[in-house]
Amino acid sequence: MSNNALVDIDSLQISVKLSRTRRLKIVDYASMKINPGEMIGLIGESGSGKTMLCRALIGTLRRRDAYISGGSVMFDGMDLATAKNDVWRQVRGKRIGYVPQSALAGPNPVLTIEAQLLESLGGDETLSRADAKKRAKELLDIVQIRRPDIVMKQYPNQLSGGMKQRVMIACAIALQPELIVADEPTTGLDVTVQAEIMKLLKEIRDQFNTAIILVSHDLPLINDVCDRITVMHAGATVENITSAEIEKSKHPYTIALYKSRIDLAPPRGQLITIAGQPPAVGAWQTGCRFNQRCDFVTDACLIGEHPKYIELSPTHQTACINHAGIEAKIGSSL
Amino acid sequence: MTIRLEGKGVTVTFGDMFRKVEAVKNIDVALHAGQTIGIVGESGSGKSTLARVLAGIQVPTSGEVFYEGTNIWQGKVSYPGEMRKKVQMVFQDPYGSLNPRMRVVNAVAEAVKFHQNADGEQARQLALDLLERMGIAKNDAIKLPRALSGGQRQRVSVARALSANPEVLIADEPTSAIDQSAQSQLLSLFSELITDGLSVILVSHDLGVIRYLTDRVYVMESGDFVEAGDTAQIFEDPQMEYTQKLISSIPGHKKLKS
Repeated sequence: MSNNALVDIDSLQISVKLSRTRRLKIVDYASMKINPGEMIGLIGESGSGKTMLCRALIGTLRRRDAYISGGSVMFDGMDLATAKNDVWRQVRGKRIGYVPQSALAGPNPVLTIEAQLLESLGGDETLSRADAKKRAKELLDIVQIRRPDIVMKQYPNQLSGGMKQRVMIACAIALQPELIVADEPTTGLDVTVQAEIMKLLKEIRDQFNTAIILVSHDLPLINDVCDRITVMHAGATVENITSAEIEKSKHPYTIALYKSRIDLAPPRGQLITIAGQPPAVGAWQTGCRFNQRCDFVTDACLIGEHPKYIELSPTHQTACINHAGIEAKIGSSL
Repeated sequence: MTIRLEGKGVTVTFGDMFRKVEAVKNIDVALHAGQTIGIVGESGSGKSTLARVLAGIQVPTSGEVFYEGTNIWQGKVSYPGEMRKKVQMVFQDPYGSLNPRMRVVNAVAEAVKFHQNADGEQARQLALDLLERMGIAKNDAIKLPRALSGGQRQRVSVARALSANPEVLIADEPTSAIDQSAQSQLLSLFSELITDGLSVILVSHDLGVIRYLTDRVYVMESGDFVEAGDTAQIFEDPQMEYTQKLISSIPGHKKLKS
């Protein structure tokens, strides 16, 4: 991978404060790189640490009593892991935009859409109020909201779920950030609205060359819209692969996720399920954290630390120590 | 094939005398024994309302629902007496449908006591068997709902519904609030139940789920059926523009075609 990555997260650890003395590590061995203008999907089950990784990127971990306890988050040469508030003020919103998960609860219910867009634009001190209003209207145009003049004066409860999420995207791109973190932007929305939002994100990427991290637990969706996929399991990133090569995955968890797609199964046929539950947060077993659910487990998987990334090619890293053996076992059955 | 559950001319209108919304417009629907039908549509298309009418928890403004030829509404009561056991419902939200202060085995045993004339230890044992069949082992069954994952909770809800030995199960978006891997576990369970002879009405906006489970699908748009037919046929060759739009919105759809 090229050296001029926009974001370079390296062996990131995130811990939460449980009490004055007790700490619980919830993310460990998370590594990913994002190049400018790239759309990257972050996938994993509930509780795998996806949202915490996003929070590390926008500096809001402290609101969950969490903090970065190791590793680094490099953003364009700055280490965000140790950044102070004044650095964050220059980055958050201006250079890294955020689209939250709950579209329906995202916008402030007591402010008009205009007020919220102006607040997002407030980070740019050079913009006069009149210009900001003009720009706000442009933003609604970009996110394809019809009749922006009327919508500007409306409150969030007057908008549909899809429109609210479009407004949130407009707020995120207000200052033309280089990176947008979209944390499950379509949960709770319809399939048709989901398809429209994904198209919109793609268009924004093409138009402004914005890098986008798309978090989801829907592998077919991610595989459809993203250039690259990073898979997370139990607080660690386990594989980094391009969408085109997903069928050549070298990690049992990715393979299992891919195979459990219902759209590929014959009606009422055998569904492939991933056995068991992911390990409880922080209560990880020794060795690979997938070893209790894996079909290809060997003795070496049960001991030592969680495996680090093994570089298979510049665009493909896996954390499975048996990656060479998987292919022999499943052949081309994927 | 006998018709298990049938809705004739079902209409539901919400609102007051000034503003009226027709959520369901004069719909006929029939579920045959051993059949699985799917109802798909966007949010607000009226699919949940229709399911609630069929389950007898929503009074239709006009129209009637018949279970094996008998009107389900007898006066102000729907599904009186033994009939209630024949049609059961599973709701969308696995987090809101279980009592948070009640261990899941007791939650299921409560339903067993009500439906099967069992009591005490016997009901508890039946509940444990039922949960076991749903893939919840005893050590999970004695936990409180908060200690279970969304997928497990949804399986507890299914166990509660099945405690009445129903002929028909109405499931309103059973998989929309849970993870992908939990979803496939739940769908496998449904698939087994259907094979064992249960008739199912599945309401969903996830066409992948519909394609996997159902024999017949009804596509709903603003309170009306725009298309109905065999699932395979609808997915192969959708006639209406609305159906085509829904199908093309499925992630991974292009790959399916090729």
